[in-house]
Amino acid sequence: MKLIDANKLTALAAALARAGYRVVAPVEDSGVVRLKEWAEGAAIRTGAVPVNSAKDFLFPPSEIIGRWDLDGDDFMPRDVQPDAPKTVLLAVRPCDAAALALLDTVFNWDYKDDFYNARRQAVTVVPMVCTAADEQCFCTSVGGAPDATAGADAMLRPADGGTRFILEPLTDKGNALLDAAGLALAEGEAAADPPVEIARRFDVEAVTEWLSRNFESDLWPALSLACLGCGACAYACPTCHCFDIQDEATRRESVRLKNWDSCGFGLFTLHAGGHNPRPDQTARWRNRVMHKFSYIPERFALVGCTGCGRCARVCGAGMSMSEVCRLIADETKKAPTHES
Amino acid sequence: MDVDRLRQDAAAVLADGRARMVIGFRDRAGDRVPAFITDAEQAGELLYDEACRQNLAAYLKKAELKRFRPVAIVARPAVMRSLVLLAAEAQVADEDVLVLGVSDDQEYHGILDLAATAALLNEKYAEMPHDPDLVKRIEEISAMTPEERSGFWTEQFARCTRCYACRAACPMCYCTQCIVEKNVPQWISTAAAGHGNYAWNIIRAFHLAGRCTECGACEAACPQGIPLMLLNVVLARDVEEEFGVKVGYDAEAEPVIGSWREDDNEDFIR
Amino acid sequence: MTQAEAKSTESAEAFEPRIVAFVCNWCTYAGADLTGTSRIQYAANVRIIKLPCTGRIDPLFILKAFEGGADAVLVSGCHPGDCHYTSGNYHARRRWTLLRNLLAFTGIDPRRLFFSWVSAAEGQKFADLINDITGTVRDAGPFDPTNPARRQPWT
Repeated sequence: MKLIDANKLTALAAALARAGYRVVAPVEDSGVVRLKEWAEGAAIRTGAVPVNSAKDFLFPPSEIIGRWDLDGDDFMPRDVQPDAPKTVLLAVRPCDAAALALLDTVFNWDYKDDFYNARRQAVTVVPMVCTAADEQCFCTSVGGAPDATAGADAMLRPADGGTRFILEPLTDKGNALLDAAGLALAEGEAAADPPVEIARRFDVEAVTEWLSRNFESDLWPALSLACLGCGACAYACPTCHCFDIQDEATRRESVRLKNWDSCGFGLFTLHAGGHNPRPDQTARWRNRVMHKFSYIPERFALVGCTGCGRCARVCGAGMSMSEVCRLIADETKKAPTHES
Repeated sequence: MDVDRLRQDAAAVLADGRARMVIGFRDRAGDRVPAFITDAEQAGELLYDEACRQNLAAYLKKAELKRFRPVAIVARPAVMRSLVLLAAEAQVADEDVLVLGVSDDQEYHGILDLAATAALLNEKYAEMPHDPDLVKRIEEISAMTPEERSGFWTEQFARCTRCYACRAACPMCYCTQCIVEKNVPQWISTAAAGHGNYAWNIIRAFHLAGRCTECGACEAACPQGIPLMLLNVVLARDVEEEFGVKVGYDAEAEPVIGSWREDDNEDFIR
Repeated sequence: MTQAEAKSTESAEAFEPRIVAFVCNWCTYAGADLTGTSRIQYAANVRIIKLPCTGRIDPLFILKAFEGGADAVLVSGCHPGDCHYTSGNYHARRRWTLLRNLLAFTGIDPRRLFFSWVSAAEGQKFADLINDITGTVRDAGPFDPTNPARRQPWT
């Protein structure tokens, strides 16, 4: 098997960079761990869950999808190609890799999104098995695991008590990456460390079942009281994929932008005529839960959440998807009464 | 801090109808998250310590919570100032809010109405200094060349994803339609990049000029760790030095940017 | 001179500053008019945008000007006490005091943002002012295209 010493992860990154990969890895940036393009000399921080998810590199916050030049009355479309450099997502979390299944599905469901697909094709995903987790992690409650290989092209497994990593290829892209890494890897034997244990917090099937018959429930206002209606959770989420199309123009050029959007915003469903079918934060938060745990399971037979816990970590108002799901699951255990 | 007294008072105001909801803090696996208590018997969930940093006055702008007024809000001095300022801006009336006051060094001040809150602020917290760490950082940045400063802020603002968590966390950002969402004309570019991020962050700060009580909620809410308080404190310091105003102490005060004095400084005007 | 022409002369040896002036209708615009009718020559580097009152000048106008390519911005209105609407200039003055420092703190050189009072009778002052700030901006050079306030090329 292919091995690399734990303190040589940056050497692996350097070897991949030399081989032509843009290396995206968790590094410290202004006091937080963030997934960003790795630069020579930056330490790779594997302990904490990065503040942003891997989706940023497939579906960026803002992307130009159309472009026109204006010259007097002339209106000339310009060719726009997705910026899709060969990229490795190195030492990302398995929950981020798991999210790709959903993004792949959504961006190829009724319309094939060329921009997403070009980036996706150029990406090799190398998650690292988690040997540490925090209070917000709940992948095991939504069908994931700290050593899950879904969406991975190769897996980094901590081994021999954290002193080295096993790099195990899983796909052709993974094999190509191992070839590119070349001398940064050594041949040898090592014993993989056990992944971190993450307790199951709720029964996701019970949540989905409850949602299917509780679009109207007295529980919703209580579950959403703390939400103040920003987009922090959606933007940190590895599976949230809503976007807004905006045109911006000067006298000489015009661009069409695909910007992240969030169902938490009041404007998200506001109609031009003034009506808003989701008039308050209760309805918006309900949509967030419904989308992840009812609509996506129903439509794609997937769960719309990978349990990374970022939404709860970034929320300035203390909202937590896992807490909400646990409260919903608790509800299903209660004996039905006239009150409930 | 005497959390028991806080809990007793919370239970008392709910029991005798002085408040229909108490908004305070509870524990969730070590995190301090907001608690919305409507039943006196649940008041035991409340707790308070120095980790309770969210500005709960922000919940006054939430439409769904209006029916629970009057609400009692657990408030540290900066949050009390937000409440007095909201009253000055006619966003809350005296009968809408009660304050369960706590000091920054964990002393409990009891149940206060807005008048008593303002009185307490003027008596005990008239001299709230700007965060010395921020002041030091501001001095460092001010000493840079314009190019260095623009470089510093380019880097900071580049991380902004335009999630607007800063706006949501702020009790003073209560506009039903924010300037950043007005698109006829499009004042601020919607792309989470470059000039749009600069314009958004500058205008957010400027719209809070003379309205920020330096509670720090915006910066704490920013998932990207953008140092928004540097901007807010630069403005708050100028408001104090130029116009002699510290906001949030007087529910009758005129807005700083909506008022003027004939002798306002104009050294910079030719 | 059109915008396109101004752009083409932006090389270091022949830098012609582009200055956007937001002025009030009643004093500074009338003052600038007097400059013209008095046949006083002044630098052709200023583009005047007339508003009813300095009280109407939103900070966003200034940001938009820098965003769109201005090397400097001038804001000018009636002297204190002379406002056609009694107090618009007093309100504006407070705003500028704060905005000026905020923009300086975030990297816009104070040599690119000017404020003045020019009355309808001060044709000469307007000419002198424009000549003076044009010189200052000429010395400061073109506004840094990488400044975050500037519209970045779409990439």
